[in-house]
Amino acid sequence: MRITSLSKRIIRRIGLLILVMFILSLVVFFLARLAPGDPLQSFYGDQLDSMTQEEIDAARVRLGLNDGLVQQYIRWFTNALHGEFGISLKHKQPVMNVVKPLIGNTLLLGVLAYAAVFGLATVLAVFCVLHEDRFLDRLICRIGTVFYYTPGFWLGVVLVLIFAVNLGWFPSSGAYDIGMKNDLGNRVSHLVLPLFVMIASHLWYYAYMIRNKLLDEVRKDYVLLAKSKGCTRRQIVWKHCLRNVAPTIVSIMAISIPHVTGGTVVVESVFSYPGIGNLAVEAAKYHDYNLLMVDVLITGFAVFVSSFIAQTINEEIDPRMKEMETIQW
Amino acid sequence: MSEPVLELKDLAVSFRTPKGEVEAVRGVDLAVNEGEILCLVGESGCGKTVLCQSVMHLLPKYSFVKHGSMSVCGEDITHYSERQMRHIRGRNCSMVFQDPLTTLNPTIPIGKQIMEAIRKQEKVSREEASDRAMELLDLVGIEGAAHRFSLQPHFFSGGMRQRCVLAIALASNPKLLFADEATTALDVTVEAKILDLLREIRQKTGIAIVFISHDLGAVARIADRVAVMYAGRIVEIGTADEIFYDPRHPYTWGLLSSLPALAAESGELRPIPGMPPSLLDPPPGDAFAERNEYALAIDYEKMPPMFPVSDTHFAATWLLDPRAPRVEPPIRLKAGSGKWTKT
Repeated sequence: MRITSLSKRIIRRIGLLILVMFILSLVVFFLARLAPGDPLQSFYGDQLDSMTQEEIDAARVRLGLNDGLVQQYIRWFTNALHGEFGISLKHKQPVMNVVKPLIGNTLLLGVLAYAAVFGLATVLAVFCVLHEDRFLDRLICRIGTVFYYTPGFWLGVVLVLIFAVNLGWFPSSGAYDIGMKNDLGNRVSHLVLPLFVMIASHLWYYAYMIRNKLLDEVRKDYVLLAKSKGCTRRQIVWKHCLRNVAPTIVSIMAISIPHVTGGTVVVESVFSYPGIGNLAVEAAKYHDYNLLMVDVLITGFAVFVSSFIAQTINEEIDPRMKEMETIQW
Repeated sequence: MSEPVLELKDLAVSFRTPKGEVEAVRGVDLAVNEGEILCLVGESGCGKTVLCQSVMHLLPKYSFVKHGSMSVCGEDITHYSERQMRHIRGRNCSMVFQDPLTTLNPTIPIGKQIMEAIRKQEKVSREEASDRAMELLDLVGIEGAAHRFSLQPHFFSGGMRQRCVLAIALASNPKLLFADEATTALDVTVEAKILDLLREIRQKTGIAIVFISHDLGAVARIADRVAVMYAGRIVEIGTADEIFYDPRHPYTWGLLSSLPALAAESGELRPIPGMPPSLLDPPPGDAFAERNEYALAIDYEKMPPMFPVSDTHFAATWLLDPRAPRVEPPIRLKAGSGKWTKT
């Protein structure tokens, strides 16, 4: 019974995924073309100025830029169904070739930052709740406020100045030194500063959110019962309250993916870290439509899949969230 | 007679609030013996819950014991720390709360919540704890315990959840159980069953129960003794018979005549006029004087002491002073009939 309903849910979600991706592609496709500017500029660069009108027109026809928007979309869509996402106008090669080597870098930075942010946020939140309204709780909240309002790019630049330029402890840019792609130590030393910025600018917001959720939770009646059983406050917060706010944390984690990914864009540009966040910014800037589409669809896919995973985890933690199934007594 | 399970001596509990000190409990003397069911009755805000939660040390940090002492099983726990209370709670005294819908953790299976209560007080194996939890579910009258063991609270009705809470409260064989409006949130038929269950458990285990309620019907069904509270003090205490058939305090009269079921014969329901006084600045005399049609001049000035009516029956009203005028209670319960008549 459980199995059929689970597979049913999965089928329904996959249908939803296809629909969402379709709508997303539609929106991005037309929005990107609304922006003023000429994609030929990014394809030919300065060469464009020395080209004749005929050459320009010919190039437009060749790149399919002269067709109606709807027709362009249909062409893109049919090709995409065959796994062809077109060529990048700026990089002049298939978009997949551009994106592929960078995904790994962004995933590494993103996943590490993500895990660290939520792991630390939960621990900090529990710590604050256990010290509610005492010195350490207030101190942590104050520090959090300061870091939260510090812009990530500024923090990044300051860190580069201190630790890369002055102290020389960490490299200031890139994902690895040339020829050291598989050297773990080298990669880690390139990750330290970007990771720190990502964590420092996101941690407090989520820690504060979880702390407040937990504070609501420790005022509930079941906490009194747990206390009258003989549980300590620490046990109650870890075993009872955290479990009950876990669905909220998981949901926040799911919807925060774009937020944290947005953070990688800033961090990637400050540290010249080669990743798809930086790529998306460039793609939008240079009217590199095909590249932008793929980049956005990848992010969209990640968000959708993670919210699906979040939903599934939540249903395991709190079965009330499941669509009601009949229980046989 | 053995020593009382619960003994309060002149206990006063206050809250620090921005507006000043709120005196929620103002000097309560009370003793509850083994196997006894004592009912605490009174209006909302009269200090019933604060009294129980202060013994359990469950009150928020801005509360404090102003004076007096409390002992459970002969142990003075007035100034016990959180660490010391851990061994008192559950083992010596435990508590059942008002709303069974919110007192269970919604995401943890019932069985696990009961097992947690057992294993907090005794180092037993998982299997042993699970067997004990099954027995407890059986004791509180939940059928098919094995099947329901692993279900979350939302699969249970309100009455069944209250039985589960009761199972948790009884997990470590406490000597004393506070039932804080344990049946208020339940409908009458379920309430009656829970009340019978409490009596049955008392019979089986010899546990002492402090039952808080403002439902005199429930009190009549379960109480050995009744204590009437008003504005943080006990104004009358006696056996159930004494309180119901021979009430002496005007507040008790008021409570009884505002009871629909019992006031039926006289054809009128008489609510007590006015509101209880603010405990921010309680009056110096009898707190009930302002709403009391029988109030004497001295009631406004001096707190009445507990006048003995019999060996077990005491009431704090100046009407019992030998110098006071004789007052006939406005209502009287005819012995045996269960009906009230106006006098």
